[in-house]
Amino acid sequence: MRDRRIMHSSRQRWSITEVWRYRGLLRTMVVWGLKVKYQRSILGFLWTLLNPLLMVATLTAVFGYIVRIQMHDYWAFLLSGYFAWNSITLSLFAGTYILAEHGSLRRSISFPSEILVFSAAISRLVEFAIETVLLIVVLAVAHHHGVPSGLLVTPLLFVPLLLLTAGLMLPIATVSVFFRDTQHILPVVLTALFYLTPVFYRVDMVPHALQPWYAVNPFALLLVQFHTALYDGRVPSLAMFSRTMAVATVAFVVGYALFNRYKNVAAEVV
Amino acid sequence: MSPPKSSDHGPAPAIVCRGVGKRFYYYEHRTESLRELFRRSIMRRPIHIRRPEFALTGLELSIAQGESVVLLGRNGSGKSTTLRLMAGVYEPSEGVVETHGSLTAVIELGAGFQPELTGEENVELYGAILGLSRIHLKARFEEILRFADLGDFITTPVKYYSSGMKARLAFAVAVCVRPDVLLLDEVLAVGDFEFQQRCVERLGTFHSDGGTLVVVSHDLPLVRQLCSRGVWIDRGRIVMDGPVDAVADAYLAGVAEGG
Repeated sequence: MRDRRIMHSSRQRWSITEVWRYRGLLRTMVVWGLKVKYQRSILGFLWTLLNPLLMVATLTAVFGYIVRIQMHDYWAFLLSGYFAWNSITLSLFAGTYILAEHGSLRRSISFPSEILVFSAAISRLVEFAIETVLLIVVLAVAHHHGVPSGLLVTPLLFVPLLLLTAGLMLPIATVSVFFRDTQHILPVVLTALFYLTPVFYRVDMVPHALQPWYAVNPFALLLVQFHTALYDGRVPSLAMFSRTMAVATVAFVVGYALFNRYKNVAAEVV
Repeated sequence: MSPPKSSDHGPAPAIVCRGVGKRFYYYEHRTESLRELFRRSIMRRPIHIRRPEFALTGLELSIAQGESVVLLGRNGSGKSTTLRLMAGVYEPSEGVVETHGSLTAVIELGAGFQPELTGEENVELYGAILGLSRIHLKARFEEILRFADLGDFITTPVKYYSSGMKARLAFAVAVCVRPDVLLLDEVLAVGDFEFQQRCVERLGTFHSDGGTLVVVSHDLPLVRQLCSRGVWIDRGRIVMDGPVDAVADAYLAGVAEGG
């Protein structure tokens, strides 16, 4: 921040270079965000795990024993996908309040506000990475009884996950600034999406006529690969990974463009 | 701290505003929910009913490096808006705002403070937010704590601080960042007399080190001590710009007349 800054009227500064200049601030926010949240306690992190674990237990009970989806180690299948879904959900929710939460900071200091969104996305990813490590260990021991290559390849999926999530958080954050009820509508949308995304079932369980539609759902692409890597233990196909990367990148570019379009107006909303 | 120089004519001004205008909208009706947005779109009714209001028009202002300036004016005159434009928090609707050198603004008290963290931790955090590198922060930590003079309270969470304490902490960090340009928006008003005098002293050092200072304040005796130049802004335009005593006197006279 020690260099010359020239601001011109109404010109959209091409943000990605700005973000690079403020990378120190981004790092600070991620590190301190996690520090504040986990305030010297590992117990805090265990609480973060509690919610998704309870959900997985419930889903196992309901879909495993009541609805009776036939699958070997169904609990492992659920674990392999649910944490990714949980991470996406938490990130998108964060998008609805991250800008409001830092209102006084935005009014006081000049910095590209996407940093706030990125810091929330990255913080969540850090937590998800730790969860994934734990998942890999649990699945290796209790489900695979070994370490298939799919497990080791899983971290590669973090890249499209981050791009897709951030790409959606950006317009959600913008809309949330202008429309207060976004945080109430999002849970409803995500609940519906939970059932429309193959989180607790496989795509091949779906009637053939409907299967092609799943390709339209970017979350489906990601979830299928998490299932493949963690539950099947196989390395996801390059074709599918490329497609997911392409979709995630497009989502990011479009989301960022939308965010930038309304960035200055959003900065002045009370 | 060596002042940045422009190519030929000597040091570049610290802050320049050229033809700056700032438009806000006054909303008679503002749609604030998605549901309402949907309803209004379906029924072909207008989403917002609003009219533009110019908080600032045709602002021409140049502040040289090393100057100490106070922006004076009634509430709503546009002085805080001007400061925020200089800080980069607002973008101008018209014209250009240029700043040269590193800039630190203290506009809202405790912006960036995390209430759950202690004073010490917030010094680290706030310093990092203001762009202070780890090395510099370690070196100046003692200086900051000494200036803030919070004693044992430095280890209590900031949520328990009074606004005066927060002001001292924020100000201590901001000044010790040693920016080229420092902007202060009525934060000095929060402290007690003793703190204000300490600020005047510290800002005096800041000034003699070549720093540029712009403050918004209603405290005329204080700014006479602190600043050499006053800019009176009224209803979005600069009404007077000159030596602080002259401008402050004129402003007082203007206020007395109810104008």
